Amino acid sequence: MDWRVRRIGQALFTVWGVITISFLLVRLMPGNPMSAMIVELEEQGISPTQARYLVELRLNIDPEEPIPIAYVNYVGSMIQGDLGHSMYYDRPVVEVLATALPWTLFVLSWAAFISFFLGITLGALMAYWEGGRLDLGLTGYATVMGSVPFYVLAILLLVFLGYRYGIFPTGGRQPTGVEPGFNWTYIRGVIHHAALPVISMLVVSGAASLSMRGNSIRVLGEDYLRVARLRGLPDSTIAIQYVARNAILPMYTGLMISIGSMFGGSIILEEVFAYRGVGYYMMSAVNQRDYPLMLGAFTIITIAVVIALLIADLTYSKIDPRAGGGKSEGL
Amino acid sequence: MKDSRGPTDGDGQPKAADGDGQPKAADGGSVNSPFETISDIEETRRDRYRKRYENYVYAPFSIIWDDWRARIGLAIIALYVFVGTVGVFLVEPTTNLDGSAFIQPFETWEHPFGTDRMGRDLFADTIHSTRPILIMMASGGLFTVTVGTVFGTIAGYKGGITDTVLSSITDVFINIPGLPLVIVLAVMFEPRNPVLVGILLSIAAWAGLARAIRSQVLTMRRESFTEAARAMDVSTSRIIRKDILPRLMPYIVINMMNATRNIIFSAVGLYFLGVLPFEDQNWGITLYLAYDAGAHYRPGALHWLLIPMIAIIGISVGLILLGQSLDRVFNPRVRARHRNGEAEAEGSEDVEADNTGMMKQV
Amino acid sequence: MTEQAVSNDDRDASITDPILEVRNATVKFGMDRGESRVLDDVSIDIERNEILGVVGESGSGKSMFASAFLDAIVDPGTLSGEISYYPDSGGEVDVLGLTKSELNQFRWEEIAMVFQGAMSSFNPVRKINTHFVETLTAHGDTVSEGMERARTILSDLYMDPERVLRSYPHELSGGMKQRVLIALSLVLEPEVLVMDEPTAALDLLMQRSIISLIEDIKEKYDLTIVFITHDLPLVVDLADRIGVLYAFEFIEIGPANELLEEAAHPYTRALLKSTPNLTAPVDEMRPIEGSAPDPVNEISGCSYHSRCPMADQRCEVEDPGPYIVDTDHDVHCHYWEEASEAVPMPNDGSGTETGSPDSDQPISVQTPETRPRWAGENPVLSLDDVEVHFEATQDEGLLNLFTDPETVRAVDGISFDIYENDVVVLVGESGCGKTTLGKAAVGLERPTAGRVEYRGQDVWEAKETGGDIPFEDIRQSLQIVHQDPGNALNSYRKVFSSLEEPLVRWYDDLDGNDRRQRILSMLKHVGMSPPEDYIERYPHQLSGGEQQRVALIRAMLMNPDVILADEPVSALDVSLRVEMMDLMLELQDMFDTSYLFISHDLANARYITEKTDGLIGVVYLGKLVEIGTPERIINDPQHPYTRALCWATPELLTETDRTDDSPMRKIDIPDPTDPPSGCRYHTRCPEARDVCREVEPEMVDSGTDETHQRAACFRAQENHEYWTSESIVED
Ligand code: SF4
Ligand code: SF4
Repeated sequence: MDWRVRRIGQALFTVWGVITISFLLVRLMPGNPMSAMIVELEEQGISPTQARYLVELRLNIDPEEPIPIAYVNYVGSMIQGDLGHSMYYDRPVVEVLATALPWTLFVLSWAAFISFFLGITLGALMAYWEGGRLDLGLTGYATVMGSVPFYVLAILLLVFLGYRYGIFPTGGRQPTGVEPGFNWTYIRGVIHHAALPVISMLVVSGAASLSMRGNSIRVLGEDYLRVARLRGLPDSTIAIQYVARNAILPMYTGLMISIGSMFGGSIILEEVFAYRGVGYYMMSAVNQRDYPLMLGAFTIITIAVVIALLIADLTYSKIDPRAGGGKSEGL
Repeated sequence: MKDSRGPTDGDGQPKAADGDGQPKAADGGSVNSPFETISDIEETRRDRYRKRYENYVYAPFSIIWDDWRARIGLAIIALYVFVGTVGVFLVEPTTNLDGSAFIQPFETWEHPFGTDRMGRDLFADTIHSTRPILIMMASGGLFTVTVGTVFGTIAGYKGGITDTVLSSITDVFINIPGLPLVIVLAVMFEPRNPVLVGILLSIAAWAGLARAIRSQVLTMRRESFTEAARAMDVSTSRIIRKDILPRLMPYIVINMMNATRNIIFSAVGLYFLGVLPFEDQNWGITLYLAYDAGAHYRPGALHWLLIPMIAIIGISVGLILLGQSLDRVFNPRVRARHRNGEAEAEGSEDVEADNTGMMKQV
Repeated sequence: MTEQAVSNDDRDASITDPILEVRNATVKFGMDRGESRVLDDVSIDIERNEILGVVGESGSGKSMFASAFLDAIVDPGTLSGEISYYPDSGGEVDVLGLTKSELNQFRWEEIAMVFQGAMSSFNPVRKINTHFVETLTAHGDTVSEGMERARTILSDLYMDPERVLRSYPHELSGGMKQRVLIALSLVLEPEVLVMDEPTAALDLLMQRSIISLIEDIKEKYDLTIVFITHDLPLVVDLADRIGVLYAFEFIEIGPANELLEEAAHPYTRALLKSTPNLTAPVDEMRPIEGSAPDPVNEISGCSYHSRCPMADQRCEVEDPGPYIVDTDHDVHCHYWEEASEAVPMPNDGSGTETGSPDSDQPISVQTPETRPRWAGENPVLSLDDVEVHFEATQDEGLLNLFTDPETVRAVDGISFDIYENDVVVLVGESGCGKTTLGKAAVGLERPTAGRVEYRGQDVWEAKETGGDIPFEDIRQSLQIVHQDPGNALNSYRKVFSSLEEPLVRWYDDLDGNDRRQRILSMLKHVGMSPPEDYIERYPHQLSGGEQQRVALIRAMLMNPDVILADEPVSALDVSLRVEMMDLMLELQDMFDTSYLFISHDLANARYITEKTDGLIGVVYLGKLVEIGTPERIINDPQHPYTRALCWATPELLTETDRTDDSPMRKIDIPDPTDPPSGCRYHTRCPEARDVCREVEPEMVDSGTDETHQRAACFRAQENHEYWTSESIVED
């Protein structure tokens, strides 16, 4: 079978797995949210039929239905994009998250882009001046940064750049009192609000630069590099087409995987900076025990990550001619 | 040496012992071929223990000790372990109104780290937080490494349908973002026991390791040295233990260090967010309380935030330093050099090369 | 010997029109253990349009010598001395005095280089075409013109230019990459081509084909070639002059045929004798004792004195300067005049005429004692119509869900027997399935059809359902020694631990001290002394030869009946091969084993089989095409493919003594997933006729009972339809 088809199938399988896990958690676990919800509603004096209707609306699970049928219906509504109804916000989960998702993606893509770019450039420079002052300094820096959790950094940034010196706003995702739209004040405000979360995520570039450094040093010792130099190729070609390209290849999937972990990290960051993205809503759902919203956010994040990884794998064969998918595993 | 033993049919070699386990003392000179040589000295249990001690204790430790990073790393971790085991008996747990509120660190020796809003002693707090955190790290780290290694090795070595099943499970866990899953599970299960917390936090962390190990085992399975072992009819489990695992060890050790570091990061992070239920005192809870009380903007309360942060950073620095140097223990080149007593100047290029592709955060 | 006319005492008299002059070239490396000289004061002139062969074993400084011409010594090394280049257009270039940009132009435009690592000489993510284009642009050449040139060169090297240019490096076979690299080095029309082991990683057939291509290319493009290799026989018929490097300096330089017939230096003579080949009597082949000196230790006097049989006091103190043997033949040995007595060669004393045997006469192969081969005995191992097919998944960019995976017919119906104390050598190109066949024979690869029987018991049946002989015993009796000794030993285990494994598994009654004692005595027996030191070592602390010995002992400790030895000597230096093979034969005597050898080198195959009365089997694309005694296979090959292998085996014969026309129509081996119909060799066979395309030839006896010669070619059968069929060879 074509490995691409297999890979897409695997992605779908993951999404299905996550949906199933959330169904099991909600419906089957002892003391599960569904029963808790029914009890709570009935305590509030709502009639059992009404309670049953409300539960079905919020969780997409009809408590009366036998489990297999409930499961099929649950998966069915998930596929149709119905993630249930948020109790706390009293709105469909999809609606709540749809407004939040772009903001999260905005911060994430900036953070990812900048950290990869920085990591790769710095790593390449470190390799070029291997053993030099920049190399030693940055290696040390990267090691130290590796031991600082990014949310600690976030809190410190918030304390100093936000509260102490007031350089950046301490919360929110857009400027107050400015008409949202395509005008400079607004855009500047948005960037201003995103700055601290983005900076906090850049810690990852430390790790990226270290692996880029290692890879580049390896490539610098390859035969083809020596031949390229002897052939008199210009330094820029050698640096970009020979060293950089071959050094980035092994990192490529790693970088994409780190998008997954950055997504996870964004939950904590959005909470710290009160930045209303998907993670922020997920946390507020956790605190309010708003299960539909929590599971919805979890599902959305999973799907986003699965798509990112899918893109990573599918595009990898485009940039590395040797990657023929399953071919390497053929014999 | 031309005098051959005549036709051989599988058991032509001399049996050295005849049932009672006593090796016959052959006089070294008169055997026909070097193949028949046996020793005239019996190996004692003590010899065996001494060999084990040399291979598994003495050599690794003296190799580690050659590296300054390892010395610092070991010292830091030993300090934390000491604090977590012995320290808790030396320092009384603190209570509210132990001292007055917001005493600054090093202001008085009664409260070297200062106090919080309720007047709790932060020094005692820090000491008593260490134990549950260490337990979480150890259990989570072991869980990650064990599950990852077992899945990866079996999938890679067995191949076929076993591989397909194990790899599919692994792939699902690789694709699921770890932290959100952990949050959902934490909310649902509300784990309180530190061991459970540790395992819960690493519920998806083993997958990356499993995949990496699988592909390495897959390569090794095709290499000549495992084929030679198979030809000698060495059992699969022994091949895995003796030939494959030692080569994976550097990788496993680095992952263990990374995994434990990630455990402490996410554990503290989740306590800080209030996702995990509070049980014993720990740094994450301190951080939560401090943040909740607005220590990040309140004057004079910053140390409340800083002290748990420093505690976290301290132990992860220790883990990183140790991880960077631990793989040297397994590197045959280092071992050989070490045995020859040659001084070695250069750092650990190999370590960094091995780190490639293992940039997982949280 | 036309050069003899020039009579002048000046040692460079023979060089009339030098293109390169190297003076006192020295390369030094600063290392932890002290400074090491890896090229020691080398001076040599290179004549315009000559082919200079440079021969040296690994660690003789030959790669440094190659890099010196382009001032391209790798980094911590420093090059001193003088290198002058005289272009055709006149003038003189001081190579070491060039600025960086001048050097960038000089390299590749004037002197180009072909590395030994062709596999890794291309950027894996860029197409071959890009490599050519970027080279042309970097040197300011017109791309369209340059690419025209590139296409011509590629087709001169027997490749399809369009297909090659469109490919990525990993899509080409090793031999193709090597030829593309040669084309790439010629695209800027350099005057000098330096080739550093350009064929080391290739099969003999490919090697030989490339060598003859080099000759053509040299003529066509007016090149001066410096050809560096460890393989003396390979260059003798290619080079005009040969220089022998030993311990970082030239110890002898002279015209190729003179060096071959009247080598003056004891080392050159020993090297010639140690090289397995097809002509010299096997009993004359001798390894060189000892090992080459360490570059760190400065040696006083002659660098060869520790291994030289004629060394005396003077040699230890006085550096032997060049002595003139002939106008164009120098040697660095005080006693060169006595060398021919001290290190006698089979062809010594006779004039140049008789030194090269007449190619029509059967060459000096001893006739094996005529005895019917194990008549009446039962074979230890018997293969019956064995097939091994692999499935290769094929994904070429299309979303083709429904295509069947392609099958590689690695082994396709092969039968032969191995008896007690027997030796069978399988030869063939890489990819022909010989290794797979070998592994199937020793039960490490499951045949997809056919039977492998150990003393009459089907091996796989024994494994699955049990049989008369338990599988354990079979497993113990069939062992393997791998090709790459570095990989056959686990680099994380000490020698002791690796060798202990078979004893722990099979001899419960031995305790730790017994095991240790036995291992020590084995190590000592194979010449690894002191064994107490060796057992504590890791594989990386052993030389290639020592690693191979350890692997061999490990197999022997199992006390097996048959050992599959997969190219056991090809990773070793030429001068060590004979020694290793002798050791294997000695151990065979001691342990009463049989060997199934695998080799791509007919010379090694001949050495082994002739010493043991074994058989050589020739494998081509999963088929056994010919089998017989070495005497028959080499002197009277029946199958055209065997003939090609003989042609490809480098010989210690000079140019005039051998034919240079390739007995093959195509250089590259066909795709094993889609083998040709009929006779699989018909796409390359120079004798192919119409019937060969359709009908598959059977193995038929073509010799007597004693020679066991059988071949699968219609030409071995009289009265076959073949003789009336149309030829399909177009010229
Ligand atoms: S100089 Fe002496 S040691 Fe050197 S090769 Fe000649 S005889 Fe042997
Ligand atoms: S059968 Fe035909 S094609 Fe095959 S080797 Fe003989 S002559 Fe050549």
